[in-house]
Amino acid sequence: MRPLQAVNAKVGRFVRSVLDEAPSAAPATPGGIPAVRFAGVTHRYGTHLAVDDLSVEVARGETLALLGPNGAGKSTTISLVLGLLRAQSGRVEVLGTTPRRALAEGRVGAMLQTGLGSGLPPGVTVEQTVQLVRRLYRRPAAFDAVVERAGIGPLLARQTQRLSGGQAQRVRFAVAIAGDPELVFLDEPTAAMDVEARRSFWRMIRQFGAEGRTIVFATHHLQEADETADRVLVVNHGRLVADGPGATLKASVAARRVRFVAAAPPACLLERLEGVTDVEIHGSSVTLHSLDADATVRGLVGAGIAFRDLEVAGAGLEEAFVALTACADRPRVAVS
Amino acid sequence: MLAFTRFEVGRLLSSWKFLVITVGFPVLFYMLFLRNRPAGEVIAHTVPWRTYLMVSMCSFGALVAALTAGGARLSAERSSGWARQLRVTPIPAWSYVTTKVTASMLVVLPVVVLVDLVGLGFGGVHLSPGRWVSLTLLVWATALPFAVLGVLIGFLAHAETAFPIVTGLLFVLGYFGGLFNPVAGMPHALQVMAHLLPNFHQAALGFALLDGRGLSPVHFLVLAGYAAVLGLAILWKHRLEEARGLA
Repeated sequence: MRPLQAVNAKVGRFVRSVLDEAPSAAPATPGGIPAVRFAGVTHRYGTHLAVDDLSVEVARGETLALLGPNGAGKSTTISLVLGLLRAQSGRVEVLGTTPRRALAEGRVGAMLQTGLGSGLPPGVTVEQTVQLVRRLYRRPAAFDAVVERAGIGPLLARQTQRLSGGQAQRVRFAVAIAGDPELVFLDEPTAAMDVEARRSFWRMIRQFGAEGRTIVFATHHLQEADETADRVLVVNHGRLVADGPGATLKASVAARRVRFVAAAPPACLLERLEGVTDVEIHGSSVTLHSLDADATVRGLVGAGIAFRDLEVAGAGLEEAFVALTACADRPRVAVS
Repeated sequence: MLAFTRFEVGRLLSSWKFLVITVGFPVLFYMLFLRNRPAGEVIAHTVPWRTYLMVSMCSFGALVAALTAGGARLSAERSSGWARQLRVTPIPAWSYVTTKVTASMLVVLPVVVLVDLVGLGFGGVHLSPGRWVSLTLLVWATALPFAVLGVLIGFLAHAETAFPIVTGLLFVLGYFGGLFNPVAGMPHALQVMAHLLPNFHQAALGFALLDGRGLSPVHFLVLAGYAAVLGLAILWKHRLEEARGLA
């Protein structure tokens, strides 16, 4: 079996090349200067490769999701783009300048991950906090506009330590946009929020994005990425696995994994079954990746293959992308 | 930056916990120690007990305020992610540290003034207004190494350990620095140790001022050295965090 990482890299290249031929997938950037540009950026912590030769551009006005499992390199990518980390190799440009300068010029806002903390200063009111942050910028947004966009009107007089998780995230969003930034980064902003709070949070983000601002957010929820972003970058092991509009992704998650055990499984027959995009055979255990599990199972029965221990499961994101490439190409077969 | 400093001072002065500790501790100690020795006793043939106690308690008040302003509060706020959030605003990275030290210094002043007033009111010390003002300003200005120390503790200690560390330091520095008992009456080894501590030098300047003696530059040098070394330690920790992308 081939290592998943190598497969992903191949998939990424494929998806990117498809998108290159379809310029409508990426909005045009006014003036030609992208909001963010990564050119061959690599970053490691000791021997751990957190970001691996990443090259990507984010156009102005785009809402982009950075999607990937925990430890995929999303936070490192955001730290690099905010100048909290310096790229060990490659180039990071933000709004045509360095990350630190873009930050110092007040053109960037961010909501970072805070772990268990609220990310807000205790002992002051929400209003005092937002007003302080506004004063740190030369050209801040109007206070009322920030309050309205973040929907924190009823919270203004509240002490920051008395906010619920969802409320604190809204206040942190207000802090991120208090400087009226052109570009906003949100690192897993809905962690520790309940479903309703999540929903209203993303509604707020979509409205903010509709004003023509560039938003980059990290998440490990496919649904969040799909519903809010114009474009989704899938990262894993620090590499770009896929890059495309959410709809493409959504179609690909229909992929299923069909597993069974068969004596002497015929690879050439299996790969021709309807819906199959990928075949993995380890001795007598077989895994089929399929875009139509029902048809695949019917085909399996129809072909008269003696199988047992049949199992059909939803494929994870990684499998979804294996499926995505293969369906445009032809099934990939791996036998070991 | 001014807005940030004002915000920080406002936060400190509106915290009941902070006020109770910083005002309560030195005033309580002052009252407790006042009757320890007869009013007229002269310490080491130079400073009357009452004068000694007022200077010592001013110095102690400055120490309590400075360490409490930094310490656990700072540590907690750093672990909450607020300090990191400030790093993604336009203010330069170093301004977090300078603002914290400035805010600590600004809250030290009212505490020193208050203890000085207690001295005049209840401590049986008589001073000309000029002497009183210069003593207050002297103790305030020389509290800088403690303000830096408080911030350093906030940078190095975890939120849970910072409070016991600060409390421990208050007593260790207070006692061995000769603020609770005159250094002159201590065994030789402790006297040597006292000379190594910043509070001893701060108090020595206060005694000299009230005694009308010249202020020895050695004391200032030791205090400035402490401020510089502790400041460098903060810088070192900050660089370390920055390299890992934590700051």
